[in-house]
Amino acid sequence: MGIYDFVVKTSKGEEKSLADYKGKVLLIVNTASKCGFTPQFKELQDLYMKYKDKGLEILGFPCNQFAEQDPGTNEEVQQFCRLNYGVTFQIFEKGDVRDETAQPLFKYLVSQKGFEGFDANHPITEKLVAALKENFPHFLEGDDIKWNFTKFLVDREGNVVARFEPTTVPSAIAADIEKLL
Amino acid sequence: MVKVYSITQCPWCDKVKKYLKSKNVEFEEHNIEENDADREACYKLTGDLVVPITTVNDKDYVLSFDKEKLDAMLGL
Repeated sequence: MGIYDFVVKTSKGEEKSLADYKGKVLLIVNTASKCGFTPQFKELQDLYMKYKDKGLEILGFPCNQFAEQDPGTNEEVQQFCRLNYGVTFQIFEKGDVRDETAQPLFKYLVSQKGFEGFDANHPITEKLVAALKENFPHFLEGDDIKWNFTKFLVDREGNVVARFEPTTVPSAIAADIEKLL
Repeated sequence: MVKVYSITQCPWCDKVKKYLKSKNVEFEEHNIEENDADREACYKLTGDLVVPITTVNDKDYVLSFDKEKLDAMLGL
């Protein structure tokens, strides 16, 4: 079983085989809802604009398993929603990404690249871990997705080469993407 | 006529609509996810594609569910 064996559904409900992305560098991300406080969408879009002509595709999978907004940002929750999440890369159908109900693609991704800890330097790390401990303690165990915006980098041959936690912002992985392009 | 630009699955849009109804304000809903002309009109008005947008005259508008600003614009 490889990454190109999976078939997923686009946000419009159409089936899409990941084999269609053979030869591309892929960044597969579980994204938040279109109404949360989600600055990572903007950074992902910036990466996409910068590298899409060189062969990068970003695949976004919205998921409701995590709370609406980033932890620790309750004070500044935005009260609006953005059409198409404000991005032009492919967004797929909303679905689960962790626990028994996870989509097969995400079960595969976490089996290829397990959890190795959060980025200790990111300002949100402490708050995220505290929020998880309080609300979803079992999320901290095992290799499953911990929160919105976990990113998996796939090379042109379909190997899952890296996993970046929500605490690694998209702009920080530009160098890793460039290496594969 | 008051217009509300919205998308589907948008809790803030629902709040604006509910609020207007509670105040007996008549409005038209324009879903910019479903209608290309509405999307263009919303972009022309605001320079972005965020919702909810409420407008009375296609010139002044209120972004988000902001009661104070809505009241001021609508004279409530």
